[in-house]
Order: sequence, then C-alpha cells, then structure tokens
Amino acid sequence: MNIIYKLIKKEIIRFLNDKTSMMLTFIVPIILMVIFGNIFGGHGSSRGKANLILINNSNSEIAKFIEQKLDSTETLRLIKNYSEEFSEIKFPYTEEIAKEHIKKGKISSALILPENFFTDTSSSLLFKFYYDPKNEIESAMIQGSVQQTIMSQVGGIMPVLMMRQAKKQIGENKFLNFSDDLKKTVSANFGVNVDSLQFLGGDFEKRAMNLNNNNSSNVIGNLVKFDSEQLVGADVKSPGLTRSIGGIAMMFMLFTLTAAANSMFEEKSEGTLNRLLCMPVKRSHILWSKYIYSLLLGIFQLLVLFTSAWLIFDLDIFSNFINLIIVIIASAAAAVSFGMIITSFAKNINQASGLSTLLILVMSAIGGAWFPIFLLPDWMQSLARGTLTFWAVEAYIQVLWRSADFSAIALNVLVLLSIAFIINFYSLLRFRKGKVFR
Amino acid sequence: MLQIENVSIKFGNIEALKGINLKVQKGEFFGLLGPNGAGKSTLMKIIVGYLKPDNGHVIMGNELVVYDNVNFRRKIGFVPQEISLYLELSAYQNLKIFGGFYNIPGKVLEEKITEVLKLVQLEDRKKDAVKNFSGGMKRRLNIAASILHDPELILCDEPTVGVDPQSRNAIFDMLMKLNREGKTIIYTTHYMEEAERMCPRLAIIDYGQIIAEGTLTELKKMLERQVTLKVLKTSITIEKTNELSQIGKLLELDGHYEIIPNEYFELNSKLFYYLEELGIPADIINLSRASLEDVFLSLTGRSLRD
Ligand SMILES: Nc1ncnc2c1ncn2[C@@H]1O[C@H](COP(=O)(O)OP(=O)(O)O)[C@@H](O)[C@H]1O
Ligand SMILES: [Mg+2]
Repeated sequence: MNIIYKLIKKEIIRFLNDKTSMMLTFIVPIILMVIFGNIFGGHGSSRGKANLILINNSNSEIAKFIEQKLDSTETLRLIKNYSEEFSEIKFPYTEEIAKEHIKKGKISSALILPENFFTDTSSSLLFKFYYDPKNEIESAMIQGSVQQTIMSQVGGIMPVLMMRQAKKQIGENKFLNFSDDLKKTVSANFGVNVDSLQFLGGDFEKRAMNLNNNNSSNVIGNLVKFDSEQLVGADVKSPGLTRSIGGIAMMFMLFTLTAAANSMFEEKSEGTLNRLLCMPVKRSHILWSKYIYSLLLGIFQLLVLFTSAWLIFDLDIFSNFINLIIVIIASAAAAVSFGMIITSFAKNINQASGLSTLLILVMSAIGGAWFPIFLLPDWMQSLARGTLTFWAVEAYIQVLWRSADFSAIALNVLVLLSIAFIINFYSLLRFRKGKVFR
Repeated sequence: MLQIENVSIKFGNIEALKGINLKVQKGEFFGLLGPNGAGKSTLMKIIVGYLKPDNGHVIMGNELVVYDNVNFRRKIGFVPQEISLYLELSAYQNLKIFGGFYNIPGKVLEEKITEVLKLVQLEDRKKDAVKNFSGGMKRRLNIAASILHDPELILCDEPTVGVDPQSRNAIFDMLMKLNREGKTIIYTTHYMEEAERMCPRLAIIDYGQIIAEGTLTELKKMLERQVTLKVLKTSITIEKTNELSQIGKLLELDGHYEIIPNEYFELNSKLFYYLEELGIPADIINLSRASLEDVFLSLTGRSLRD
C-alpha cells in the first residue's frame, strides 16, 4: 500500500512539473468552454448581439409590445433606420430596402410585422422573416431568439390565439360546451375551484391581453407561464451550453487520462519503469497506482472544469451536487479504463496516442459531446450508444440541466461503471501480454 | 554472498545466457567483462529478480532470489545501463522519489540524499532539471539514485558509457570508496582497461557463456606468452617480414605486425639485439605486457572491440 501511495505521489510530482499537461488538462478546456458556451447561450458573459432589421407596420398593442420586448432581448440588436452612403440623414427601413440590404449581404436578416400582424379576428400572429441563406446559422439563431422572446414574454397571447383557432375549427357553440367540460376537467385534475376558472368568459381576452398584467389572478396566464418556464425558463441554462460544458469536460478528461496511461511508455523509454521494477516495486503496484492516480486526476479535472463553468456561466452545479459527483466518478472510471486498454494494446507511444486521439474525436463527435445526436443519421445514433461519451454527456445534461434525480441517471451510471469494470479487468489481463512491461 | 547456479534464459530464439555459474564473495569488486550483446545486462536483471531465468537460480546470502519478490531488493542497488531518471524533474526530486521506495524515514532519507549528492559531486546542482545535465552528470546521478538505501550489493551495469574522462574518474573513485566501506560491487563493462584497472577478480562473458574467470594474474597466465611485440608496417619491415617471423608467431594486422615471441626471444635483451641487427628503428617497435584484450583474443579469436 505504501509503495502504491509513493507511486501515486510520483505521478502527481511529475504532473505538476509538466506545464503542457497542466495546460491541456485545465486551461485549454476552460478556454474552449468559454468559446462554445458563448455560442450556445451562456448568460454570464457579454455575448455578442446579432443585428436584425425590424419593421413594424402594425398598429396593434401586441406588435408594440413585441417590438419593445425584442428591443430588450440580450441577444439581438434591432436596426430600424438606415442612412445612404456619405450621408448623415437616417431613413426608416422599408421592406424593399431591407430586402435589398440582405441581398447585398449588409445584414443577415429582417423581421417584419405587417399591417395585418394581429387584428381583432386573427387566430395567429403573422411574421415575415427574410434572411440570407449564406448566413443560415446566424439567421437561425436570430429566429430562435425571436421565438424565445415571444414565447416567454408574451405568453398571454397564446391562449387567445388558441381559443380563436378552436372557435374557428369547431364553431362557437360547440366550443362553449367543450370549454365547460374543459373547466370541469381542469378543476378535477388541478384541484382548482371551478368558480375561479372564469377565464373562458367574455372578459378573458381582455384580461389575457392586458399584457403588463402579471398578477396571479390571471389563471391561464400563469398556466402558460408555468409551461414556458419548463421550456425556456429564465433560471435554467440552455441545454446547448450544458452539452458544451459536459462534452468538452468529457473529451478533455479522455485526453488527460489516456496521456496519463500512456506515460507508461514514456517511463519505459526513459528507463524509469525498469528502474522501479528493479527496486522494491512490482508490476502490479505500477498498474494499481496508474488506475488510482488516473481516477483521482479525472475526478479532480472534472471538478475544476465544472467549478469554472459555475464561475463563468453561473452553471448551477450545487443544487444537484450529489448526483453530479456520482456521474463524475462513474465517467472518470470509464475514462480511466479507456486510457488503460489503449496502453495495454499499443506497441509504443506513437501508436497509443494516434489511436486514442482518433477514438476520442470520433466518440466525442458521435457521442453528443459537440452537438445533440438527433442531428445524426439513425445508424450513427445507435453507434453513439456504444460510446462512453454518450452515456456520460447525457448524464451531465440530466443532472445539470434537467436537475434530474438519481433514477434518471441510474442507467447511465450503471453503463459507465460496467464499461469501467469490464474494460479495466480486460486491460489488467492484457498487460501481462502487452509490450509495456517487456 | 552471491551464487549464480546454472542460469539460462532465452528471448525467442536468442539464447542470451547458457548455463552461467559464478560466485561472488562479500566485499569483492567483481568484474564482468564482455562485448556488447554478451548477456551482461541480462544477468544483472536476473540477479535483481527483474527477469526470470528459464533454468537455474540465484542465491543471495542464504536466500533464494525469486522473480518479482521485492523484499530482498532492499539489499541490492541496481545501476541500470541506460540513464533511468525523470529528466523533467530535478536531481533532488529524482532522489526523493527513488529513495521513497525503501521505507527510509523522512529525515534519514534527507540526510542520505545530501550525503549521496556530495559523493557524486552534484550538491550545487540538486535543484536543476536533469535534462539540463551533461552526460557525465546524468551518469553520476544514475548511480546516486541506486545507493540511497545503503545496499550490501551494488550492481553497476556499464556505468561509464558515454562519459567524459573526468566524470569517469569521479565514478571510479566513488565506487572504490564504496567498496572500501565494505560494499560488494559487481561491475560490468566492455572496456578491458576499466576491468583491468578496477576489478581484482573478474569473469569474461561471451555469447551468454562465461569463458574465463579468475584474478587478473590467473587470467593472464592462461596466455601462451606474457609479452607481445608490435612492429609498425614500413618499407623496411615489410621487406624483412621473413626475418621478423623468426621471432615467433606473427600476425599481420592493419597497420602493424603483432608477434608473440618464442621462448628464445622472451628475454628482452636478445630480442632488441636481433631487431637492431635487422636495422629496424626503435621508434616503430612497441613491446607490451599481456592485457585482458589478449586474453579475450586468445579465447575467442576476436578482438573485444569488434
Ligand atoms: N528483452 C529482450 N528481448 C529480446 N532479446 C533480448 C532482450 N534483452 C536482451 N536480449 C538479447 O539478449 C542478448 C544479450 O543482451 P544483453 O544482456 O543486453 O547484452 P549486454 O548487456 O552484454 O550488451 C542480446 O543478443 C540481446 O539482443
Ligand atoms: Mg548491457
């Protein structure tokens, strides 16, 4: 035991003396997290604003309200006027000019609220959105921001639209019958007093559309608000951000731990491995020290990276901390096994690092470390389930974004620990035949 | 102290050692001389229990050396042939790490490190990274890392390869000092000058076999003659080859003749008189006493330097 402890101490001293490893373990992933986090919607830092032309031709209150809300959206900068070249005079944008500017590539997209955007009989909101296909990503993000703003800020309008849709579809009488039933169902299921459910009465529209009304008597407003919090709530960070952080952390832990395992080749060529084995040190001591040290390093690395994400993006790591720790330990154990199996199979360090880099990049790409796997073709999605990255990243998203309890991550943890157990056992057997100890 | 009995080992088809038998007494400075690939390092690794012999065994004191049984290694200091150090770390860090595996109490280890650094003359460089050391300094540290635990037996596997003459002498002095303090030393080398200078008793190993063993005098006695005459090839000597071969067995080598004088010419005075008669100038002749090189040559028909 004392020998293993000394060997682990040796690993730590070597690590602390290796500036490149330290950079790759902590600094580089944090830098990448900052970059990716800002792309996928972090809150904590000043994210660049996207320019969007806004032309509001509607007189309706709702249009004004939406314009005002879009104006205050963090991610958008609304452009409403333009000026001719060499001129100081500003003109308000028109639809024609906006189209022209997009075609010329001066700006990537325009949002137009036409005259008939919302009228007394509208059952939907009419937007016109122009964009430059060359700037698809930016315009998709802008569209997303616009939708998010409307969903979260003007939720009150949705039920009105839905009701008008319903009346249109099934006729006014049937609708009233239906709403009676609905009232009863709602009161039965949500335990709300039927009398308070006056929302389908005549003044409902007025109340719902009283856009600045935030008071709690607005029942359906509250219901919708409740719903929209689940989807794009203000407190919870975006899944994209969580995925980036979890994915980058996982990818770099794999790099760190393969490097730690592969350092056995380094020690072999340095001769220190042989020297140790001519001292009171056994091969099994060396293996055990590697396993334990790698596990500790992986856990420490993930803690540092997630703590940085907390500091930089305000990522909530504490409300579900125990489950986070469980996932961290399970994924570190799986990553250790990955590093060790490669070292046990490889003939030399070049082979080992080439193979591991390739596998880590592939696993990260198809395992969801860079983007959600639903973007991949079906067969790749099934392949993803064979990567430890998939199980780890999904578990991080469950824990950090959905604040899921243990039952939601139990399968992931089980899979990760099984991977760790089986592969570590196999690599232990492999080391008897492998090249490292020859 | 150490008995090696009938030890053999194979690596695939290569029979690296073929039935080695050796005895080393306590306090000896024992040499193992042989060309590259003779099996010296392999034998060292078997003694320390790092390699497992296919046949035979090693007994140290009255303990059988078992492969991978690490406890008796506390009595051995193994100096590997290759520099085996953490190059990124400092001399002190290296010693601290390697000394750490011998259960030496912290304070004693610190004292020991200071003492050993002084012995290898590196105390003023102890904070520097080993990668910045010269070849000789690395070699000295390579030895230092193996003697922190006061081993009874020190195995030195070619500790002077690639070393400047100054460091070489420092290493010799150091090892002889350790030997005087009572440590048994086994020293392998392929330089016969080193073996001759350092090792009162030695074995010559070639192709995995001990081909001779004994004290320096015993080994030289194996030779037909104790004296070798070397004559440079010049226009005069080439003309007189026949006459020269009258002296004794004549070998024609690259730049010179090598002659092992017969009994009649063993007396120097007769030899020099004869050479003078032939008109061969004194500055192209060289008379040398037998060396281990000659022993090796006579035993194998090859030069040690091949
Ligand atoms: N691990 C090994 N695998 C295969 N062959 C080896 C190994 N170690 C040594 N040998 C072979 O055994 C022979 C003796 O090697 P070695 O003991 O290193 O010689 P020396 O130290 O006298 O130069 C050589 O032919 C060498 O190639
Ligand atoms: Mg050797």
